[in-house]
Amino acid sequence: MISTNNLTKKFGDFTAVDNLSLSVNEGEILCLLGANGAGKSTTINMLLNFIPPSSGSATINGLDVVKNPIKTKEFITYIPENLMLYPSLTAMENLDYFSGIAGKKLTPTQLSNFLEEAGLQTNAFHKRISTFSKGMRQKVGIALALAKDTKVLLLDEPTSGLDPKAGNEFGELLQNLKNKGVAVLMATHDLFRAKEVATHIGIMKGGQLRQQFVADDISLSQLEKAYLDTMNVTEAMP
Amino acid sequence: MILKTFFKESKEVWRDGRVRIAFAIVLSLLGIAIWISARQYQNINEQHQMAETTERAIWDNQGEKNPHSAAHYGTYAFKPKYPLSLVDQGVDKYVGTSIFLEAHKRNEAQFSAAADQTGLARFGDLTPDFILLFIVPLLIILLGYNSFTKEREMGTLTLLKSQGISSWKWVMGKWMALFFPIFVLSAILFLIAGFILSNLQDFGVFNWSSLFTMFWIYTGYYIIFINIVLFISTRVKKSGIALVLSLSVWILACLAAPKAASNIAETKYPYPTRQEFAANVLKDKQGGLDGHNPWSKESKLLEQKVLAEHGVDSIHKLPFNFDAYRMQKGEEHEAEIYFKHYNHLKEQFTRQSNVYRGLAVVSPYLPTRFLSMAIAHTDYATHWDFADAAENYRIATQKFLNDNFAENSSYGEWAYRADADFWKELPDFNYDPPELRTILTNNASSLWILGTWMVVSFSILLLTSKTI
Repeated sequence: MISTNNLTKKFGDFTAVDNLSLSVNEGEILCLLGANGAGKSTTINMLLNFIPPSSGSATINGLDVVKNPIKTKEFITYIPENLMLYPSLTAMENLDYFSGIAGKKLTPTQLSNFLEEAGLQTNAFHKRISTFSKGMRQKVGIALALAKDTKVLLLDEPTSGLDPKAGNEFGELLQNLKNKGVAVLMATHDLFRAKEVATHIGIMKGGQLRQQFVADDISLSQLEKAYLDTMNVTEAMP
Repeated sequence: MILKTFFKESKEVWRDGRVRIAFAIVLSLLGIAIWISARQYQNINEQHQMAETTERAIWDNQGEKNPHSAAHYGTYAFKPKYPLSLVDQGVDKYVGTSIFLEAHKRNEAQFSAAADQTGLARFGDLTPDFILLFIVPLLIILLGYNSFTKEREMGTLTLLKSQGISSWKWVMGKWMALFFPIFVLSAILFLIAGFILSNLQDFGVFNWSSLFTMFWIYTGYYIIFINIVLFISTRVKKSGIALVLSLSVWILACLAAPKAASNIAETKYPYPTRQEFAANVLKDKQGGLDGHNPWSKESKLLEQKVLAEHGVDSIHKLPFNFDAYRMQKGEEHEAEIYFKHYNHLKEQFTRQSNVYRGLAVVSPYLPTRFLSMAIAHTDYATHWDFADAAENYRIATQKFLNDNFAENSSYGEWAYRADADFWKELPDFNYDPPELRTILTNNASSLWILGTWMVVSFSILLLTSKTI
C-alpha cells in the first residue's frame, strides 16, 4: 500500500531523508521511531507530495505520489501532531466538510456513526471544535479516515501531548483501522505506544532507516536498547 | 466541493460576531442613507415643482409689456432632480439647480445645495453612493482579508491539502461565500430604492432598467474588490499583512487615485478663472454686433445689408421693426460667442475626464463612479447637457420675443406692448436627459475598463490559486 524506493530529500547540503526504502502493506502498522530531525516527518511530507523528493520514488496503492498527487490523496488520511479543524464549526460539520471535499456524500446519520465509531462522545457531536481537547480532535481525524474509507493512514506524532487514557484510546482506534485493512505509517517518539500498536517498527537516524523489526519479535526493553544503541552510534560508524 | 466550501465559509462568517456586527452596521447605515436621501429627493422635487409652477405663473401674468422688456425680465430653467439621484447624488449638490434665462447673456446654474450649507458640509453627507462606493468595499475587506491566511494560521491548510482539494474549486467556494452576502446587501439596497422610487408617482420618470444597470455596475465593482482581497489573502502568510495590504489597495483606489486624478487633471487642463472667462466673453462680444447699439460699425453694416436685401433705402420702409431685428441678430451673435467659450470649457472638461479614465487603470473606483453618476443623471456631462438645453431654450425664447416685437411694431416704436396673453404662447422648458443606451455608449470606455478589471483580476486569482 505504502512504498518508498531509495527516497531521498536534500535541503541544500543537508540530507533530511537518505535512500529510504520501506513498505507498509494492508493491515500493517509501521511505527517510525527517531529523534527530532531523523527524517520521519519529511518522509510523510513526501508521501503527501507536500514536498518533492530529490531522488527516488514513493507510491501509494501502486501510484507514484508525484505523478498522481490528487489521485493518491483519495486513499490517504493524514493526522498531524496537532490536528487543526475549523473552531467555529461542530464536529459533525467539520467531518461533513472534510469528507465532502474528499468526494464523500454522507448523511447526518452516517456522520454520527463514524464519530461514534471513532470514540467521540455523542454529546460532543454538535459542539464547536473550539471546545475540544487535542484527543477529541484526533478522534474526529480518525472519524474522517473511517468516513473516507481510507486505505492509508499517515500519522505524525499523533499521541504527543495526549494523556495516557486518551493515548490508549487512540491506540485502540488504530488497531480497529488495522483490522479493517488500513496501512498505517506513524512517526513517533513514543516507544511504548509504538510497541503497543505497531506490527512493524523502524528506527531512523540521519534520514536513514537504521533498524527495522517485527513488533511481535521484540520486547519493549529490547526495543528501548536498540533505540538507544542506534541513537548513540556516531555518524561515522556503519 | 465549491458548494461545500461556500456553505462552510458562510457558516463561519455568520458565526463570527464581529462580522455580524459589521454587517448590521452597514445595513443600518444603508437604511439611514436611503431614508435621508428619499426625504431629500421628495423635498427637492416638491420645491422644484413649486418653483417651476410659480415662475411660469409670473411669466404668464406679466400683462401688456414690451417683448424686449420681458426678455430682460427673464425667466428660469429648473434642473429636474432625477429618480436615481436617490442612489447617487453625484455632482448635483455643487452645480446649481436653476439657470436664469435673460436677454444677451448666458448665465450659469445657481442655487447649489452646497452653497446653502455651513462649513460642516465639508464633512460630507451620509448618502447611499458613499456606502456603496466606500463602505461596502471595506466590508469586503473585513469579510475576506483572512479567507486563506486563516487556513495557514489555524493549520487547516495542511489537512485540506492532504485531502487532495482542488485549488480552483476551493477558491471558487470562498469567492462565492464572499460574493453572496455582498450581493444580497446591495440587492436589498437597490430593491428598496426601486420600491421607493416606483411609488413616488409625481416625480420624475423612474426606469427599472437604469436601476438594474446601476446595480450590475456596482456588482462588478464589488467583484473586482473581492478578487483583489482574495488574491492578497492567497499570496501572503499572515492575516495582519493581508489586512494592511487590502486596506492599502482601498486607500489607493478609493481615496488617493480620485484625488490625484483631480490634481493632475486640473494642472494639465486648467479651467479659466471666472474673471478670465468673463473678460474673454466681453472681448469677443465687443468685437461683434451689439443689438442695443445702433451706432456701431457692425450695426451699420447689418443695416446696409438688410436694406439691400429688401431693396429699400430706409429702415423705416422695412416690413418689420429693424430695432427688434437688430437685437435678434445681436442675440445670435452673442449666443455664438457663449457657445464658443462654453465649448472650450467642455473640451477642457472632456480632457480632464480622459485623465480620470486613464487613472482608472489603477482604480476600479473611477469607472464605477463615472458610470454610476451618468446613469443617475447626476454627472457633469448631464449637467452640461442641461445647461446647453437651457441655453437653446433661452435663444429660442429671445427669438420668440424679438420676432413678436419685429413683426408687430415699426422702427423706433419702443412703446409697443405685446398682448397680455402672448406670454402663454411661449412653450414650457422641457429637458429630457440622455437615455440609458446613449449614456452607456458615451461611457463605453468606462464599461470596458471595468470589464477588463473584472476579467483580469478574476483570471489572476484563479491562475495563481494553484500555488496556494
